[in-house]
Amino acid sequence: MNDKLQRTHLYDWHAKNGDLVPFSGWEMPVRYTDIREEHMAVRDSVGIFDTSHMFRFVIKGSQALEFLQTMTSNNVRKLKVNGGQYTTCLNENGGIRDDLMLYRVEEQEYIWVTNADNGPKISAHLNQHAKNFDVEITDRTRNIAMIAVQGPKAMTLLSKIAGRDLSEYGRFTSNLVDLGGYSSYLCRTGYTGEDGAEILLLDTPFNNEGKDKATAFWELLLNQGEEFGIKPCGLGARDSTRLEAGLVLYGNDIDEETSPLEARIRYAVKFKVDPHYIGYDELKRQKEEGVDKTRIGLVMIDRGVPRKDYDILLRGETIGKVSSGVMSPILRSGIGLAYVKPGVVEEGDTIEIDIKRRLRKARVTKWPFYDSEKYGSTRSS
Amino acid sequence: MTEGTNVPEDLKYSKDHEWVKVDGDLVVVGITDYAQHSLHEITFVELPEVGSSVEADSECGLVESMKASSDLFSPLSGEIVEVNSNLEDAPELVNEEPYGKGWMFKIKPSNLDGEKGALMDAKAYSELIASAE
Repeated sequence: MNDKLQRTHLYDWHAKNGDLVPFSGWEMPVRYTDIREEHMAVRDSVGIFDTSHMFRFVIKGSQALEFLQTMTSNNVRKLKVNGGQYTTCLNENGGIRDDLMLYRVEEQEYIWVTNADNGPKISAHLNQHAKNFDVEITDRTRNIAMIAVQGPKAMTLLSKIAGRDLSEYGRFTSNLVDLGGYSSYLCRTGYTGEDGAEILLLDTPFNNEGKDKATAFWELLLNQGEEFGIKPCGLGARDSTRLEAGLVLYGNDIDEETSPLEARIRYAVKFKVDPHYIGYDELKRQKEEGVDKTRIGLVMIDRGVPRKDYDILLRGETIGKVSSGVMSPILRSGIGLAYVKPGVVEEGDTIEIDIKRRLRKARVTKWPFYDSEKYGSTRSS
Repeated sequence: MTEGTNVPEDLKYSKDHEWVKVDGDLVVVGITDYAQHSLHEITFVELPEVGSSVEADSECGLVESMKASSDLFSPLSGEIVEVNSNLEDAPELVNEEPYGKGWMFKIKPSNLDGEKGALMDAKAYSELIASAE
Protein backbone atom coordinates (compact mmCIF):
# COMPACT_ATOMS: atom_id res chain seq x y z
CA MET A 1 0.00 0.00 0.00
CA ASN A 2 1.11 3.50 -0.78
CA ASP A 3 0.74 5.66 2.33
CA LYS A 4 0.89 8.91 0.43
CA LEU A 5 -2.53 10.49 0.22
CA GLN A 6 -3.94 11.02 -3.24
CA ARG A 7 -5.35 14.34 -4.39
CA THR A 8 -8.14 15.22 -6.79
CA HIS A 9 -8.05 17.76 -9.64
CA LEU A 10 -9.50 20.33 -7.23
CA TYR A 11 -6.99 19.81 -4.43
CA ASP A 12 -5.40 23.27 -4.62
CA TRP A 13 -8.81 24.93 -4.34
CA HIS A 14 -9.75 22.72 -1.37
CA ALA A 15 -6.44 23.43 0.40
CA LYS A 16 -6.97 27.15 0.01
CA ASN A 17 -10.64 27.20 1.02
CA GLY A 18 -11.32 24.13 3.15
CA ASP A 19 -10.36 22.02 6.14
CA LEU A 20 -8.59 18.92 4.77
CA VAL A 21 -8.70 15.43 6.28
CA PRO A 22 -7.50 11.99 5.15
CA PHE A 23 -10.37 9.90 3.74
CA SER A 24 -10.02 6.45 2.12
CA GLY A 25 -6.48 7.23 0.99
CA TRP A 26 -7.37 10.69 -0.29
CA GLU A 27 -6.81 14.15 1.11
CA MET A 28 -10.29 15.66 1.01
CA PRO A 29 -12.15 18.67 2.45
CA VAL A 30 -14.37 17.82 5.43
CA ARG A 31 -15.86 21.33 5.38
CA TYR A 32 -15.25 24.77 3.89
CA THR A 33 -17.20 26.91 6.32
CA ASP A 34 -19.76 25.17 8.51
CA ILE A 35 -21.10 21.64 7.98
CA ARG A 36 -24.65 22.58 8.98
CA GLU A 37 -24.70 25.58 6.63
CA GLU A 38 -23.38 23.43 3.78
CA HIS A 39 -25.98 20.78 4.61
CA MET A 40 -28.83 23.30 4.58
CA ALA A 41 -27.66 24.77 1.26
CA VAL A 42 -28.21 21.30 -0.24
CA ARG A 43 -31.66 20.96 1.36
CA ASP A 44 -32.82 24.53 0.60
CA SER A 45 -31.06 25.52 -2.64
CA VAL A 46 -27.89 23.94 -4.04
CA GLY A 47 -24.51 22.63 -2.92
CA ILE A 48 -21.58 21.17 -4.84
CA PHE A 49 -19.29 18.31 -3.86
CA ASP A 50 -16.01 17.16 -5.36
CA THR A 51 -16.51 13.41 -5.80
CA SER A 52 -13.45 12.84 -7.98
CA HIS A 53 -11.99 10.49 -5.35
CA MET A 54 -14.44 7.83 -6.50
CA PHE A 55 -13.26 5.44 -9.24
CA ARG A 56 -14.60 5.52 -12.79
CA PHE A 57 -14.18 2.47 -15.00
CA VAL A 58 -15.28 2.47 -18.63
CA ILE A 59 -16.45 -0.98 -19.73
CA LYS A 60 -17.07 -1.58 -23.42
CA GLY A 61 -17.34 -4.43 -25.88
CA SER A 62 -19.82 -6.73 -27.60
CA GLN A 63 -20.31 -8.75 -24.39
CA ALA A 64 -20.34 -5.80 -21.97
CA LEU A 65 -23.96 -6.47 -20.99
CA GLU A 66 -23.46 -10.18 -20.22
CA PHE A 67 -20.25 -9.40 -18.35
CA LEU A 68 -21.91 -6.71 -16.22
CA GLN A 69 -24.88 -8.96 -15.47
CA THR A 70 -22.41 -11.51 -14.08
CA MET A 71 -20.83 -8.76 -11.96
CA THR A 72 -23.88 -6.88 -10.61
CA SER A 73 -27.17 -7.61 -8.86
CA ASN A 74 -29.61 -5.28 -10.63
CA ASN A 75 -31.12 -6.13 -14.04
CA VAL A 76 -28.57 -4.80 -16.55
CA ARG A 77 -30.91 -5.62 -19.47
CA LYS A 78 -33.33 -3.01 -18.12
CA LEU A 79 -30.65 -0.34 -18.27
CA LYS A 80 -31.30 1.69 -21.42
CA VAL A 81 -28.75 3.71 -23.37
CA ASN A 82 -28.40 7.05 -21.49
CA GLY A 83 -29.73 5.49 -18.32
CA GLY A 84 -28.27 5.00 -14.86
CA GLN A 85 -28.77 2.25 -12.31
CA TYR A 86 -27.88 1.84 -8.63
CA THR A 87 -26.59 -1.67 -8.07
CA THR A 88 -24.23 -3.85 -6.05
CA CYS A 89 -21.30 -6.10 -6.85
CA LEU A 90 -21.37 -9.21 -4.65
CA ASN A 91 -19.04 -11.93 -3.46
CA GLU A 92 -19.92 -15.66 -3.63
CA ASN A 93 -21.60 -15.44 -0.20
CA GLY A 94 -23.90 -12.63 -1.27
CA GLY A 95 -21.88 -10.07 0.71
CA ILE A 96 -21.37 -6.66 -0.88
CA ARG A 97 -18.01 -6.07 -2.56
CA ASP A 98 -19.21 -2.57 -3.38
CA ASP A 99 -22.28 -0.54 -4.17
CA LEU A 100 -22.07 1.50 -7.34
CA MET A 101 -23.74 3.51 -10.08
CA LEU A 102 -23.74 1.98 -13.53
CA TYR A 103 -24.39 4.32 -16.47
CA ARG A 104 -24.99 3.08 -20.00
CA VAL A 105 -23.59 5.80 -22.24
CA GLU A 106 -23.53 3.90 -25.57
CA GLU A 107 -25.11 0.68 -26.87
CA GLN A 108 -22.02 -1.29 -25.78
CA GLU A 109 -20.35 1.14 -23.39
CA TYR A 110 -20.91 1.58 -19.65
CA ILE A 111 -19.36 3.68 -16.89
CA TRP A 112 -18.99 2.03 -13.49
CA VAL A 113 -18.59 4.52 -10.59
CA THR A 114 -17.31 2.83 -7.47
CA ASN A 115 -16.24 3.90 -3.94
CA ALA A 116 -12.76 5.35 -3.34
CA ASP A 117 -11.88 2.64 -0.84
CA ASN A 118 -12.88 -0.17 -3.17
CA GLY A 119 -11.37 1.01 -6.46
CA PRO A 120 -8.31 -1.28 -6.48
CA LYS A 121 -10.32 -4.29 -5.22
CA ILE A 122 -13.05 -3.81 -7.83
CA SER A 123 -10.54 -3.20 -10.62
CA ALA A 124 -8.82 -6.52 -9.83
CA HIS A 125 -12.17 -8.35 -9.59
CA LEU A 126 -13.47 -6.96 -12.91
CA ASN A 127 -10.24 -7.63 -14.77
CA GLN A 128 -10.05 -11.18 -13.46
CA HIS A 129 -13.54 -12.05 -14.74
CA ALA A 130 -13.32 -10.00 -17.95
CA LYS A 131 -10.99 -12.60 -19.46
CA ASN A 132 -13.99 -14.78 -20.34
CA PHE A 133 -15.83 -12.00 -22.22
CA ASP A 134 -15.29 -9.77 -25.23
CA VAL A 135 -14.98 -6.68 -23.09
CA GLU A 136 -12.42 -3.98 -22.43
CA ILE A 137 -12.03 -2.19 -19.07
CA THR A 138 -10.32 1.18 -18.79
CA ASP A 139 -9.71 3.10 -15.58
CA ARG A 140 -10.70 6.68 -16.43
CA THR A 141 -10.57 7.96 -12.85
CA ARG A 142 -7.72 10.30 -13.66
CA ASN A 143 -9.12 11.64 -16.96
CA ILE A 144 -12.62 12.53 -15.80
CA ALA A 145 -13.18 14.89 -12.88
CA MET A 146 -16.47 14.35 -11.06
CA ILE A 147 -18.61 16.96 -9.32
CA ALA A 148 -22.01 16.45 -7.69
CA VAL A 149 -24.49 19.34 -7.94
CA GLN A 150 -27.29 18.67 -5.46
CA GLY A 151 -30.39 20.43 -4.18
CA PRO A 152 -33.78 21.77 -5.31
CA LYS A 153 -32.04 24.50 -7.35
CA ALA A 154 -29.41 22.19 -8.87
CA MET A 155 -31.14 21.71 -12.23
CA THR A 156 -32.05 25.41 -12.43
CA LEU A 157 -28.37 26.25 -12.00
CA LEU A 158 -27.19 23.68 -14.55
CA SER A 159 -29.85 24.82 -17.07
CA LYS A 160 -28.67 28.40 -16.61
CA ILE A 161 -25.07 27.34 -17.35
CA ALA A 162 -26.10 25.19 -20.33
CA GLY A 163 -28.27 27.98 -21.73
CA ARG A 164 -31.17 25.57 -22.17
CA ASP A 165 -33.70 23.68 -20.08
CA LEU A 166 -32.12 20.44 -18.88
CA SER A 167 -35.23 19.23 -17.07
CA GLU A 168 -36.08 17.13 -20.14
CA TYR A 169 -33.48 14.70 -18.79
CA GLY A 170 -35.27 12.77 -16.08
CA ARG A 171 -33.94 11.14 -12.92
CA PHE A 172 -31.52 8.26 -13.48
CA THR A 173 -30.47 9.32 -16.97
CA SER A 174 -26.92 9.94 -18.21
CA ASN A 175 -26.53 12.17 -21.27
CA LEU A 176 -23.65 13.85 -23.02
CA VAL A 177 -24.29 17.58 -22.70
CA ASP A 178 -22.45 20.86 -23.17
CA LEU A 179 -22.39 22.76 -19.87
CA GLY A 180 -21.19 26.25 -20.74
CA GLY A 181 -18.48 24.90 -23.03
CA TYR A 182 -17.61 21.91 -20.83
CA SER A 183 -18.36 18.56 -22.44
CA SER A 184 -19.85 16.38 -19.71
CA TYR A 185 -22.02 13.44 -18.86
CA LEU A 186 -25.00 14.80 -16.97
CA CYS A 187 -25.90 11.92 -14.64
CA ARG A 188 -29.19 12.65 -12.94
CA THR A 189 -28.26 10.90 -9.72
CA GLY A 190 -26.80 11.74 -6.32
CA TYR A 191 -26.18 10.80 -2.73
CA THR A 192 -28.10 13.42 -0.75
CA GLY A 193 -31.76 12.52 -1.26
CA GLU A 194 -32.17 15.72 -3.28
CA ASP A 195 -32.71 16.33 -6.98
CA GLY A 196 -29.61 17.18 -8.95
CA ALA A 197 -26.83 15.63 -10.96
CA GLU A 198 -23.42 14.10 -10.83
CA ILE A 199 -21.28 15.64 -13.55
CA LEU A 200 -18.57 13.63 -15.26
CA LEU A 201 -16.33 16.36 -16.66
CA LEU A 202 -14.73 14.92 -19.79
CA ASP A 203 -11.25 15.70 -21.10
CA THR A 204 -9.81 16.67 -17.75
CA PRO A 205 -6.48 14.82 -17.65
CA PHE A 206 -4.60 14.87 -14.35
CA ASN A 207 -2.14 17.58 -15.37
CA ASN A 208 -2.06 21.35 -14.91
CA GLU A 209 -4.35 21.94 -17.87
CA GLY A 210 -6.91 19.37 -16.67
CA LYS A 211 -6.77 20.61 -13.09
CA ASP A 212 -7.23 24.23 -14.20
CA LYS A 213 -10.18 23.17 -16.33
CA ALA A 214 -11.88 21.29 -13.49
CA THR A 215 -11.25 24.20 -11.11
CA ALA A 216 -12.63 26.70 -13.64
CA PHE A 217 -15.82 24.63 -13.95
CA TRP A 218 -16.12 24.41 -10.14
CA GLU A 219 -15.77 28.20 -9.92
CA LEU A 220 -18.27 28.67 -12.74
CA LEU A 221 -20.80 26.68 -10.70
CA LEU A 222 -20.08 28.82 -7.61
CA ASN A 223 -20.32 32.11 -9.51
CA GLN A 224 -23.48 31.21 -11.42
CA GLY A 225 -24.99 29.70 -8.26
CA GLU A 226 -24.41 32.74 -6.10
CA GLU A 227 -27.94 34.04 -6.69
CA PHE A 228 -29.31 30.76 -5.22
CA GLY A 229 -27.01 30.80 -2.17
CA ILE A 230 -24.84 27.95 -3.42
CA LYS A 231 -22.22 26.47 -1.08
CA PRO A 232 -19.22 24.23 -1.74
CA CYS A 233 -19.76 21.19 0.49
CA GLY A 234 -17.25 18.87 2.12
CA LEU A 235 -17.35 15.28 3.33
CA GLY A 236 -19.10 16.35 6.55
CA ALA A 237 -22.19 17.54 4.67
CA ARG A 238 -21.90 14.57 2.32
CA ASP A 239 -22.23 12.24 5.31
CA SER A 240 -25.02 14.18 7.02
CA THR A 241 -27.12 14.55 3.84
CA ARG A 242 -26.79 10.89 2.85
CA LEU A 243 -27.66 9.79 6.39
CA GLU A 244 -30.79 11.94 6.56
CA ALA A 245 -31.84 10.29 3.29
CA GLY A 246 -31.10 6.83 4.77
CA LEU A 247 -28.50 6.01 2.11
CA VAL A 248 -25.85 3.45 2.99
CA LEU A 249 -22.11 4.12 3.19
CA TYR A 250 -19.71 1.34 2.25
CA GLY A 251 -17.46 0.32 5.14
CA ASN A 252 -20.05 1.48 7.70
CA ASP A 253 -23.51 0.27 6.72
CA ILE A 254 -22.55 -2.32 4.12
CA ASP A 255 -19.54 -4.57 3.65
CA GLU A 256 -18.47 -8.04 2.48
CA GLU A 257 -20.37 -9.59 5.43
CA THR A 258 -23.66 -7.86 4.60
CA SER A 259 -26.02 -8.68 1.74
CA PRO A 260 -28.16 -6.12 -0.09
CA LEU A 261 -31.26 -7.87 1.30
CA GLU A 262 -29.99 -7.45 4.86
CA ALA A 263 -29.14 -3.80 4.03
CA ARG A 264 -32.70 -3.39 2.64
CA ILE A 265 -31.49 -2.01 -0.67
CA ARG A 266 -33.98 -4.32 -2.34
CA TYR A 267 -34.23 -2.13 -5.46
CA ALA A 268 -30.62 -3.02 -6.30
CA VAL A 269 -31.48 -6.75 -6.43
CA LYS A 270 -33.29 -8.58 -9.22
CA PHE A 271 -33.84 -12.31 -9.53
CA LYS A 272 -35.15 -12.56 -13.11
CA VAL A 273 -31.76 -12.02 -14.69
CA ASP A 274 -29.70 -13.89 -17.25
CA PRO A 275 -26.94 -14.84 -16.74
CA HIS A 276 -27.01 -15.11 -12.93
CA TYR A 277 -24.58 -12.81 -11.11
CA ILE A 278 -21.98 -13.92 -8.57
CA GLY A 279 -23.78 -14.29 -5.22
CA TYR A 280 -27.17 -14.97 -6.85
CA ASP A 281 -27.77 -18.36 -5.23
CA GLU A 282 -27.09 -17.10 -1.72
CA LEU A 283 -29.40 -14.09 -2.19
CA LYS A 284 -32.12 -16.39 -3.52
CA ARG A 285 -31.71 -18.56 -0.43
CA GLN A 286 -31.92 -15.48 1.85
CA LYS A 287 -35.03 -14.33 0.01
CA GLU A 288 -36.71 -17.69 0.61
CA GLU A 289 -35.39 -18.56 4.08
CA GLY A 290 -34.89 -15.13 5.61
CA VAL A 291 -31.91 -13.05 6.65
CA ASP A 292 -29.77 -13.09 9.82
CA LYS A 293 -29.84 -9.32 10.38
CA THR A 294 -31.73 -6.33 9.04
CA ARG A 295 -31.05 -2.64 8.74
CA ILE A 296 -33.19 -0.16 10.70
CA GLY A 297 -33.24 3.62 11.08
CA LEU A 298 -33.05 5.40 14.44
CA VAL A 299 -33.93 8.85 15.71
CA MET A 300 -32.70 9.76 19.19
CA ILE A 301 -35.36 10.61 21.78
CA ASP A 302 -32.72 11.47 24.40
CA ARG A 303 -29.73 13.68 23.74
CA GLY A 304 -26.72 12.17 22.04
CA VAL A 305 -25.54 10.93 18.69
CA PRO A 306 -25.49 7.24 17.73
CA ARG A 307 -22.10 6.23 16.35
CA LYS A 308 -20.71 3.14 14.66
CA ASP A 309 -20.50 0.02 16.88
CA TYR A 310 -22.61 1.35 19.77
CA ASP A 311 -24.77 -1.48 21.14
CA ILE A 312 -28.55 -1.41 20.73
CA LEU A 313 -30.67 -2.81 23.55
CA LEU A 314 -34.31 -3.79 23.93
CA ARG A 315 -35.53 -4.43 27.49
CA GLY A 316 -31.94 -4.88 28.66
CA GLU A 317 -30.94 -7.33 25.96
CA THR A 318 -28.47 -6.49 23.20
CA ILE A 319 -30.19 -6.84 19.81
CA GLY A 320 -27.73 -5.20 17.44
CA LYS A 321 -25.25 -2.45 16.66
CA VAL A 322 -25.25 1.03 15.14
CA SER A 323 -23.53 1.18 11.73
CA SER A 324 -23.43 4.97 11.33
CA GLY A 325 -24.92 8.11 12.80
CA VAL A 326 -24.82 11.89 12.86
CA MET A 327 -26.58 14.92 14.32
CA SER A 328 -29.34 15.72 11.82
CA PRO A 329 -29.43 19.43 10.95
CA ILE A 330 -33.09 19.11 9.87
CA LEU A 331 -34.35 17.16 12.90
CA ARG A 332 -31.82 18.66 15.34
CA SER A 333 -31.56 15.19 16.87
CA GLY A 334 -29.12 12.37 16.52
CA ILE A 335 -30.03 9.93 13.73
CA GLY A 336 -28.50 6.65 12.75
CA LEU A 337 -28.59 3.40 10.83
CA ALA A 338 -28.18 0.09 12.60
CA TYR A 339 -28.40 -3.67 12.22
CA VAL A 340 -30.60 -5.78 14.50
CA LYS A 341 -31.90 -9.34 14.55
CA PRO A 342 -34.91 -9.57 12.20
CA GLY A 343 -38.38 -9.40 13.69
CA VAL A 344 -37.49 -8.07 17.16
CA VAL A 345 -38.45 -4.43 16.63
CA GLU A 346 -40.72 -2.49 14.33
CA GLU A 347 -41.21 1.13 13.34
CA GLY A 348 -42.17 3.29 16.29
CA ASP A 349 -40.63 1.03 18.94
CA THR A 350 -38.39 2.58 21.57
CA ILE A 351 -34.96 1.03 21.97
CA GLU A 352 -31.87 2.05 23.93
CA ILE A 353 -28.39 2.85 22.70
CA ASP A 354 -25.35 2.36 24.88
CA ILE A 355 -23.51 5.66 24.48
CA LYS A 356 -20.38 5.35 26.59
CA ARG A 357 -22.09 3.13 29.19
CA ARG A 358 -25.16 5.33 29.48
CA LEU A 359 -28.39 4.04 27.97
CA ARG A 360 -30.15 6.61 25.83
CA LYS A 361 -33.54 6.20 24.21
CA ALA A 362 -34.12 6.21 20.47
CA ARG A 363 -37.09 5.42 18.24
CA VAL A 364 -37.04 2.96 15.35
CA THR A 365 -37.90 5.13 12.34
CA LYS A 366 -38.16 4.66 8.59
CA TRP A 367 -35.93 6.60 6.23
CA PRO A 368 -35.64 9.20 4.80
CA PHE A 369 -35.61 10.84 8.21
CA TYR A 370 -36.79 14.21 6.88
CA ASP A 371 -40.36 15.02 5.86
CA SER A 372 -40.51 13.99 2.17
CA GLU A 373 -43.21 16.57 1.52
CA LYS A 374 -40.75 19.34 2.43
CA TYR A 375 -37.33 17.95 1.51
CA GLY A 376 -35.75 15.58 -0.97
CA SER A 377 -36.28 14.90 -4.67
CA THR A 378 -39.97 13.99 -4.22
CA ARG A 379 -40.92 17.18 -2.34
CA SER A 380 -44.25 18.65 -3.38
CA SER A 381 -43.20 22.16 -4.43
CA MET B 1 -4.44 26.35 12.14
CA THR B 2 -2.34 27.50 15.09
CA GLU B 3 -2.35 31.06 13.87
CA GLY B 4 -4.77 33.00 16.06
CA THR B 5 -5.27 30.05 18.42
CA ASN B 6 -5.68 31.27 21.96
CA VAL B 7 -3.45 29.64 24.63
CA PRO B 8 -3.85 31.63 27.89
CA GLU B 9 -0.67 31.96 29.96
CA ASP B 10 -2.31 31.28 33.33
CA LEU B 11 -3.58 27.75 32.53
CA LYS B 12 -2.02 24.26 32.44
CA TYR B 13 -2.59 21.89 29.53
CA SER B 14 -2.84 18.15 28.86
CA LYS B 15 -1.69 16.26 25.78
CA ASP B 16 -5.39 15.52 25.14
CA HIS B 17 -5.96 19.22 24.42
CA GLU B 18 -7.68 20.02 27.69
CA TRP B 19 -6.97 22.96 29.98
CA VAL B 20 -6.77 22.91 33.75
CA LYS B 21 -7.17 25.86 36.10
CA VAL B 22 -6.38 25.48 39.79
CA ASP B 23 -9.04 27.35 41.79
CA GLY B 24 -8.41 26.97 45.55
CA ASP B 25 -8.65 23.27 46.35
CA LEU B 26 -10.58 22.53 43.14
CA VAL B 27 -9.49 22.38 39.50
CA VAL B 28 -11.63 23.44 36.54
CA VAL B 29 -11.29 21.51 33.27
CA GLY B 30 -12.29 22.29 29.69
CA ILE B 31 -11.07 21.73 26.14
CA THR B 32 -8.69 24.16 24.48
CA ASP B 33 -9.35 26.70 21.75
CA TYR B 34 -7.28 24.48 19.43
CA ALA B 35 -9.49 21.47 20.26
CA GLN B 36 -12.79 23.30 19.79
CA HIS B 37 -11.58 24.77 16.51
CA SER B 38 -10.45 21.41 15.24
CA LEU B 39 -13.77 19.74 16.19
CA HIS B 40 -15.87 22.72 15.03
CA GLU B 41 -19.67 22.80 15.45
CA ILE B 42 -19.97 20.94 18.75
CA THR B 43 -23.41 19.35 18.97
CA PHE B 44 -23.39 17.35 22.21
CA VAL B 45 -21.27 17.03 25.34
CA GLU B 46 -21.50 14.02 27.65
CA LEU B 47 -20.02 14.94 31.04
CA PRO B 48 -19.03 12.66 33.93
CA GLU B 49 -21.46 12.14 36.83
CA VAL B 50 -21.10 14.41 39.83
CA GLY B 51 -19.73 12.35 42.70
CA SER B 52 -17.90 9.88 40.49
CA SER B 53 -14.21 9.16 40.93
CA VAL B 54 -11.86 9.59 37.99
CA GLU B 55 -8.30 8.54 37.33
CA ALA B 56 -5.75 10.76 35.56
CA ASP B 57 -5.81 10.17 31.76
CA SER B 58 -8.96 8.04 31.99
CA GLU B 59 -11.94 8.48 29.69
CA CYS B 60 -14.74 10.34 31.45
CA GLY B 61 -17.03 11.78 28.77
CA LEU B 62 -17.61 12.60 25.15
CA VAL B 63 -17.62 15.62 22.83
CA GLU B 64 -19.65 15.26 19.65
CA SER B 65 -19.29 17.61 16.71
CA MET B 66 -20.66 17.59 13.17
CA LYS B 67 -17.21 16.41 12.13
CA ALA B 68 -16.33 13.73 14.68
CA SER B 69 -16.87 12.11 18.05
CA SER B 70 -14.07 12.63 20.53
CA ASP B 71 -13.49 11.18 24.02
CA LEU B 72 -13.07 13.43 27.02
CA PHE B 73 -10.32 12.51 29.49
CA SER B 74 -9.75 13.54 33.06
CA PRO B 75 -6.36 15.28 33.28
CA LEU B 76 -6.14 14.51 37.04
CA SER B 77 -7.32 11.92 39.57
CA GLY B 78 -10.01 12.88 42.04
CA GLU B 79 -13.73 13.32 42.53
CA ILE B 80 -16.05 15.14 40.14
CA VAL B 81 -17.72 17.83 42.24
CA GLU B 82 -19.53 19.89 39.61
CA VAL B 83 -20.28 19.77 35.87
CA ASN B 84 -21.32 22.57 33.54
CA SER B 85 -24.97 21.66 33.01
CA ASN B 86 -25.47 24.63 30.65
CA LEU B 87 -23.71 22.56 28.00
CA GLU B 88 -26.72 20.21 27.83
CA ASP B 89 -28.81 22.86 26.12
CA ALA B 90 -26.01 24.95 24.66
CA PRO B 91 -23.04 22.80 23.62
CA GLU B 92 -22.01 25.62 21.26
CA LEU B 93 -20.70 27.48 24.33
CA VAL B 94 -17.61 25.29 24.00
CA ASN B 95 -16.98 26.73 20.52
CA GLU B 96 -17.76 30.27 21.60
CA GLU B 97 -15.91 30.44 24.94
CA PRO B 98 -13.74 27.36 25.45
CA TYR B 99 -11.96 28.94 28.45
CA GLY B 100 -15.04 30.67 29.87
CA LYS B 101 -18.69 29.61 29.72
CA GLY B 102 -17.65 26.46 27.86
CA TRP B 103 -15.85 24.94 30.89
CA MET B 104 -16.72 21.26 31.44
CA PHE B 105 -16.21 19.92 34.96
CA LYS B 106 -14.57 20.57 38.33
CA ILE B 107 -12.47 18.01 40.16
CA LYS B 108 -11.43 17.79 43.76
CA PRO B 109 -7.98 16.38 43.04
CA SER B 110 -6.63 13.52 45.15
CA ASN B 111 -3.00 13.77 44.05
CA LEU B 112 -2.48 17.23 42.56
CA ASP B 113 1.14 17.55 43.60
CA GLY B 114 2.04 14.13 42.23
CA GLU B 115 0.22 14.59 38.92
CA LYS B 116 0.56 18.24 37.98
CA GLY B 117 4.10 17.67 36.72
CA ALA B 118 2.62 15.82 33.73
CA LEU B 119 0.74 18.94 32.61
CA MET B 120 2.24 21.51 30.25
CA ASP B 121 2.54 25.26 30.57
CA ALA B 122 1.29 27.57 27.80
CA LYS B 123 4.66 27.61 26.03
CA ALA B 124 5.02 23.82 25.92
CA TYR B 125 1.40 23.40 24.78
CA SER B 126 1.83 26.01 22.02
CA GLU B 127 4.81 24.02 20.78
CA LEU B 128 2.77 20.80 20.86
CA ILE B 129 -0.01 22.20 18.67
CA ALA B 130 2.49 23.87 16.34
CA SER B 131 4.18 20.49 15.78
CA ALA B 132 0.80 18.84 15.11
CA GLU B 133 0.22 21.03 12.05
